[in-house]
Parts: sequence; C-alpha cells; structure tokens
Amino acid sequence: MQQRTFLQSFVSKPEFGPLVLLVLELVIFWSFNSDFLSLPNISNTLSFTVELGLIALAMTLLMTAGEFDLSVGSVFGFSAVLMWTLFNSEVMPLGVAFLVAIAFSLFIGFINGWFVTKLNIPSFLVTLGMLLVVRGTALYVTDGFPQRTWTAEGNWFADLLAGSFFIGSFRMYMSVIWFALAAFVAHYILTKSKAGNWIQASGGNPNAARARGVHVSRTKIYLFMASSAMASLAGIISSIRTSAANPNSGTGYELEVIAMVVIGGTVLTGGRGTIIGTVLGIFILRVMRNGIVMVGVPGLAYNIFIGAIILGMMALHSWLERRHNAGV
Amino acid sequence: MAEDLIRMEKINKFYGRIHALRDVSLTVKTHEVVGLLGDNGAGKSTLIKVLSGAVPLTSGDILIKGRKVELTSTADAIANGIETIFQDSALVPQLSIARNLFLGREPVKGNGFLNRLDQEAMNASARELLKRVGITKDIPPETAISSLSGGERQAVAIARAMQFDSDLIILDEPTNNLGVAETQGVLRFVREARDTGHSCIFIAHNIHHVFQVVDRIIVMRGGKVVADDIDPKKTTIDEVERTITGEEMLNAITA
Repeated sequence: MQQRTFLQSFVSKPEFGPLVLLVLELVIFWSFNSDFLSLPNISNTLSFTVELGLIALAMTLLMTAGEFDLSVGSVFGFSAVLMWTLFNSEVMPLGVAFLVAIAFSLFIGFINGWFVTKLNIPSFLVTLGMLLVVRGTALYVTDGFPQRTWTAEGNWFADLLAGSFFIGSFRMYMSVIWFALAAFVAHYILTKSKAGNWIQASGGNPNAARARGVHVSRTKIYLFMASSAMASLAGIISSIRTSAANPNSGTGYELEVIAMVVIGGTVLTGGRGTIIGTVLGIFILRVMRNGIVMVGVPGLAYNIFIGAIILGMMALHSWLERRHNAGV
Repeated sequence: MAEDLIRMEKINKFYGRIHALRDVSLTVKTHEVVGLLGDNGAGKSTLIKVLSGAVPLTSGDILIKGRKVELTSTADAIANGIETIFQDSALVPQLSIARNLFLGREPVKGNGFLNRLDQEAMNASARELLKRVGITKDIPPETAISSLSGGERQAVAIARAMQFDSDLIILDEPTNNLGVAETQGVLRFVREARDTGHSCIFIAHNIHHVFQVVDRIIVMRGGKVVADDIDPKKTTIDEVERTITGEEMLNAITA
C-alpha cells in the first residue's frame, strides 16, 4: 500500500511524463543505432545541449514568474559578436571583453524588465521588439559578416569557459560543468530559497504577492536580466566551441528554449515551474535532434518531431492537471 | 475604557461624479468587533477599500491610535496593522499553505545571498495556526491552496492575519459559501481574535452571523453612516433590517 502511494505520487509529478519520454527516446535511438550511446556521440551531444540549456534554466525562473523572453536568441548572437569585435580590435583582453558583453546583456535584460513592469506592456511585445533591435544591431555593426575567433586558441579564459579535457577516452567539455552548476543553483533558488517563493508568488497571483510586500517588479526585472545574461554566456561559449561568431547565430533559439521549458512541465502562464523538468526537456529536444540524424531520418524533418512532442506533452500536462484538480 | 484604534473622519470618496462615501465618520475601539451592515451599494465595500489601502480617498482623515496615516497601497495598510480578507482571498493558489502564510515575511536560515527558507519552522507554525482557526481535518501544511475548499482557503487567510498580529482585521463576507461547521469555525476565530487583543470589522449579508459575534453594529445607506451604535444584545434582527432598508432609524445620527 505504502509503495503504491509512493508510485502514485511519483507518476503524478509533472516531471514524470518528460522522464518517460526521454528514456523512450534513448532506448529507441540506441536500438536503431548502437553508436548513439557511444562516448564520442554522448560527449558531442552534451556539448551543444548545454548551451541552449543554460538559457532554458534562466527562462524557467522567468516563466515561473509569469513572463518570458523572446530576445534570448538575438542576445545569443549579439554577445559573441560584441566580445570578439572588442577582442580582435585589440582594445581589451578577452576576459574584459567577456565582462563587457555580459554587462551589455544585463542592460538589455533590465530594459526588457523595465518596459514590462513599469510600463505594463506584455513581455511578448517588449521582448519581440528587443529581439529585432538586438539582431539588427548585430547585423549592422558587422555588415552581416562573421567575426574571427581563431585567435582564441590557447587563451586560458576561452579554455576555462568552453575548453575540454579527457576523462579516459571521454571528452568532457567545461560548459557541461557550468551547466550542471547552473542547474543546481537554479533548482535551489526556485525550491528552497526565499527568492523562489517570491518568483512563484509573482507568477501565481501578483496582486496578492504585492499586498504581502513582495517586490514583484524587482523580482521580474532581475529574472529578465538573468535570462539575458545566460543567453549571452551561452552565445559566447558556443562561439568559442564552433570558432565562429556569426551575427545570425541563435536565430529561432527563443522558441526552442521556451519549448524545452514547457515540455518539462513549467506553466506558460506562471506560478509553477520545475528545473528538473526543464533539464529533461532540454535533453528531450536535443537528443531528438541528434538521434534522428543518427538513425537516418533527414534532419529537415526535425521540426515535425519537435512539434509533435510539444503537442503531446501539453496534452499530457493538461490531463494531469485536470486529474489533480479532481482530487485523484 | 477601551481607546480608539481607528478613527475615520469625514471621509469622502468620488468615483468620477459618483459620490460613493459622504462624510463618513466612524471609530473602531481596541478589542472590539464591529459589524458593518448595509444593502448593496450602501458604500460598505468602498469604505473597506479605502481602509485597506486599495483605493485612495478623496477627502477626510484616517487616524490609527491617534496618529494620522496615509494608506496608499494594500501593503501600506498591512504595514500599519490593517489586514483585509476579501472574498476572493488574496492567496497564491500554486503555493502551499505554509508558503502563503509567510509570503513576504519568510523565515530564513542564516543570512546572505538568496537565503534558504526555514521550511520546518514554517510548517510547524502553519500546523499550529490551522488548529487555532479550527481546521480539524488533518491537512498537511505543504498542501497547495488550489486543492483546498473555499472554507479552508478562508481559514488560511484568517490564520495569516492572526499570525502577524494585525491590530485590525477586516473580514469581507467571510462566511459566504461556507458550510455550517466552517462558518462556526470562522465565528469562533473572530471571538478568539478579539480575546487575544485584535479588533475586527465584520461584514456579512447574513445578519444572524453578525449578531452572533459582534459588539456593535454600524449601518450604512446611500454612502452615509445612518446608525453607528446599535447594541446587538438590545436590538432585534428585524429592527436592524428595517434600519438597513430605511424603514426605521435606530440611534440615528445626522451625517
């Protein structure tokens, strides 16, 4: 009896559906192509998974507070361009250029948050506008050409951010460590800290939260800044790994990141979010991208699967929600 | 002799050209439960919104313990010791009972960046409080508000007001949609709140509920206070009803 209750509560958790889906994916892809779970492929998949993952973690907190950020994809592209332009023109060392890029993205996040909270404009419109402004700026200052990054070879700062080392024959990327750290911190903030309580309250019932003295606007502004900074960090790491800072990179990432978050069980309307779910959502989408190529499905069909997963998971979450409300 | 906790003096409120409150003056003493009655549109809700900081007044003064205050927001009113429990009680449905009780004043362990919530302390006080408001069912404090009944939500909101020792607790229709046992629970709480030193303004359509619990009844009609010193022990429900509708005036005061 005890065990059954445990099982029931486990099954009714929002993370359960995504977990099953991820395991299914792994089993199916592996059974089609055993190379799928080979060390090089795992290492390779991890390296590009965590870049979007970093953004998804911050986006989870922001969406729990009832807002979202469409400008992350263009901040992803712009930050790398900004950092490499500053570094290549020999104005400053890489570390300083990195800090300037992060500071700039924090400013972008602040502007997003300020428009949303002080002018009461929906985050959809504010961050859509910001998406265009930032992408446009990146294209304008570069004339649309990628920036050189090969000078990063052997730079200790670049190695620290996005380098790799071998554990036996497994190539471990530094970015995976940063991602694991960020996931742990985000989970702690959301579930264990006072800030997490404020984030959930800001999304769940902002008026009630405000009446209790919760600084709803300030909380949201901080989260917009965090989301922008994480997008910036991700873009920079990606540019170092791929040795390319393209002003167009990150196009469409905002939607993929939001998809990762909602597949994991975070509610689009705010109030409830889960970092564990988001981590699962991140892997579901990125494993799918890698897996369908490995089993021979044309990469162009990728979006069909992603779309189907989103629809399927939303149906599952809404069913669980109704079950929960019915008291089952 | 109990002293005045709240004095409202010559309060006027206009919504555009609508004169919703006309020179309303009233006092609530410490350790006193006041019933505020009136028909729909009599001005009760507006008065409560002014006192809870939800809407600004047009003219007039509010004094708390003799000190003039400006209540510009709900948070402001709460900081001044006035807690209002509205019908759609101001709880966050996704959060647990314990987290709602402590929202904005969370106990934390240690100090520094992004403090850890003291979940055990929150749960322990939550359990204690729920018992005091008379939730006899064993509801774990981790339960989300969204899975509670209307009465249970009301009880949580009341428990929160009690928790933070508000001087004045305003209950707006707290017994609406409640079962008999839950209503008795709410009324018991109001008595306990008075006994432990709080004052209450109790608004309810059900005059029987009001009669069971209040020390004094104030009646409003047409944006004015038409009677402010009705003793429920010396009056019948019929008489009070006639005052509300305007057929008879008890202890009429000229406004």
